[in-house]
Amino acid sequence: MESNLDFLFAGFAVFWAGLFVYILLLQGRLRALGREIEQLEERLDETEGRPAGR
Amino acid sequence: MSAPGHAIDPPRRGPRDALSALLARVYALRWDVLPPLTGVAMMAMIVGALIVAPRELIEGELQRIMYIHVPSANAFYLAFFIVFVASLLLLWTRDMRWDAVARGAATVGVLFTGLTLATGAIWGKPIWGVWWTWDARLTSTLILFLIYSGYLLARSTSDVNDEQTARFSAVYAILGFLDIPIIIMSVRWWRTLHPQPIVFRGLERPAMPMEMFVVLLTGMAAILLLTLWFIVLRTEAERLAQRTESLRAAIDRREAP
Repeated sequence: MESNLDFLFAGFAVFWAGLFVYILLLQGRLRALGREIEQLEERLDETEGRPAGR
Repeated sequence: MSAPGHAIDPPRRGPRDALSALLARVYALRWDVLPPLTGVAMMAMIVGALIVAPRELIEGELQRIMYIHVPSANAFYLAFFIVFVASLLLLWTRDMRWDAVARGAATVGVLFTGLTLATGAIWGKPIWGVWWTWDARLTSTLILFLIYSGYLLARSTSDVNDEQTARFSAVYAILGFLDIPIIIMSVRWWRTLHPQPIVFRGLERPAMPMEMFVVLLTGMAAILLLTLWFIVLRTEAERLAQRTESLRAAIDRREAP
């Protein structure tokens, strides 16, 4: 049987690309959530100094 | 308050506290241990799969896809087992941290189910002559992919801190897990194109030479470590999302007229 190296390459490429894309997306999400939490905490601190409903 | 002159007894630590403390210590090591260990194991897997493992006589070089395809399948078994256990614990304890674990593990499970289906299709095309066939193993795996994709889709449109949604989702995730035994047994229950088990065959030895078996075990260890690392990272993201929603709710309450 022929070696089918192109299929072997495609299999490994899909596998590694999937893992890299996933980890990049996850890293981006973690960073975005961290930033958002910082902003929300600052906003909460600001509102705590004011009377409710303002 | 204690009576004067009597020493206060130190709090007694039962086996449950000791276990919790041990788990907390192990969990605290996740950033120091998991990434380097996973990196080394993944390198060993690549070298093993592409260089060390012998060339298979019938399928030739293409058979090396097995070293990523089979470990990916084991990875989604592990991820969905964690979803199953976390969902049971959520229903039992009503602690929303288990919901974060379940959602985190479900995402990773869907990733590896997708990779298993994709690498299987690429392997199948030159061997079977088709990218896809409605074989029992393939179809039951596709159903699993759709079940948990639906779970993630439903969760993405709801409030991450909604306890009722979390409980309904936990029941759905537990029922979805029933597909895993069907996937495992499908090659025994039905006549399929997919090969019979070659590694875990009850009391029988693995149906492959020892060099291939060692490389496959290395790949399994590497991908299982990677799965655990991804689940830890994704669970952290889900916990942060819960915290974000809580902060938003607190600000809304504060600013409400």
